[in-house]
Amino acid sequence: MKIAVLQFPGTNCEFETLVAVKAVGMDGEIFRWNRPAAELSSFDGFVIPGGFSYQDRVRAGAIAAKEPVMKAIAEEAEKGKPILGICNGFQILVETGLLPGKSSSASKSSQREESSSASVMLSSAEMSRPGIDMALAQNVMVSGGKIVRRGYYCDWVNLRHESPIRRCSGSFAIERGALLKIPIAHGEGNLVTTTPGLIKQLNESEQVVFRYCDRNGRIINEFPYNVNGSKESIAALCNEQGNVLGMMPHPERAFFAWQLPAFDSRKQRPDEPGPGRKVFKSMKCYIEVNA
Amino acid sequence: MSLINLRVWLKIPDAEAATVKNTLARRMGYGDILADVKKERLFSIEVDSGDVQSDVQSDVQELARAFAKELVNENKESHKVLIDSLEFEEGYVPVKVALHIEDGEAISTRERLRSRLGYQNVVDVKKATIWKLYFRTLKPEAEIAAREVAERLLINPHKDSFEVLSQS
Repeated sequence: MKIAVLQFPGTNCEFETLVAVKAVGMDGEIFRWNRPAAELSSFDGFVIPGGFSYQDRVRAGAIAAKEPVMKAIAEEAEKGKPILGICNGFQILVETGLLPGKSSSASKSSQREESSSASVMLSSAEMSRPGIDMALAQNVMVSGGKIVRRGYYCDWVNLRHESPIRRCSGSFAIERGALLKIPIAHGEGNLVTTTPGLIKQLNESEQVVFRYCDRNGRIINEFPYNVNGSKESIAALCNEQGNVLGMMPHPERAFFAWQLPAFDSRKQRPDEPGPGRKVFKSMKCYIEVNA
Repeated sequence: MSLINLRVWLKIPDAEAATVKNTLARRMGYGDILADVKKERLFSIEVDSGDVQSDVQSDVQELARAFAKELVNENKESHKVLIDSLEFEEGYVPVKVALHIEDGEAISTRERLRSRLGYQNVVDVKKATIWKLYFRTLKPEAEIAAREVAERLLINPHKDSFEVLSQS
């Protein structure tokens, strides 16, 4: 069971992510963006870790999404292999069109790449459908109807697992309603969309995997519970097939109990697993079941 | 009301523009038609210039100079002030990209000018990025290509909007 942990220029969580992958019993290696993309087909799963790929130039994830490795990742996603995007990885998956994947945008954009030399030949109808269903915009923290803060924010957050067990590769072994304490650290995690009915559709098809909540699991759509202004407190989404998961929180930073914050009593029991381990274990379970 | 447009660009090489050029040429198939990419920041500052008086224009000029002093780092940036107009040079297609959702940076800039620096006549501030796309093709084709580049790379339509601007 071999996992590729992708590394773009500016990725900065690849090593701890690889530790997490290996600690749940999977094999893995760091896969640099400039390796031949075809080599990705020999892997069983993929993690796009956090960081600031290409220094967030243009906007977070936009440049990495155009790399040939992402086209190969889209092809592997079509085969049903699990893909986990964490933080910047989530932003890259959104910019690639793999998440939420409602308009099959990945295949549309790859068609465009092929016809790009004759770029002006694209029809205006095609041009009006860029194939990206949503954006992860700049954080806007709202409380009591007022904007209390904007921009980069890092903290420990509580997440509630929203989808049923086995719905999504990255939460395959997590019960619906389970609560996880995992840290976030980002400036652009505010889910916005102009696609009519998208959020309703995501809810109905159980593609909303995690929401920000308070410590009792209540969804309060206000800062400090909703830490970035994301629509309906959405923290993680999967595609329709369930094999691609994107999440803003960093499970690899809560993989061991000793990584938990000082005020958490579990920190004193360093042999215990941290809550983030469930995400990587789920990925392993998903591969075992679907092998 | 007067509109002060402050165009700001780096004197040193702009790494973001270089990355965009590289991505368009090497990853997106524009190598044959794209010659270069440059980038500017644009502040559009709306000021209440008061009653119509003969020296209003000079007051606004003075204000524009003061804003430039606050918003431009002369050590690494150059700028150009345009009042009640926005013009660009020949030779490239300017594409203006701005957020269509609330722009926190623009609001912060307005509040900084109004509350911290005391320019109470500042009514609104808008921020945008101007991408200057140099094509090897002639104008109608270049503008079509610029539109396509904007849609394929420069914007995410769920938060950004763009406008292909005409030159002077």
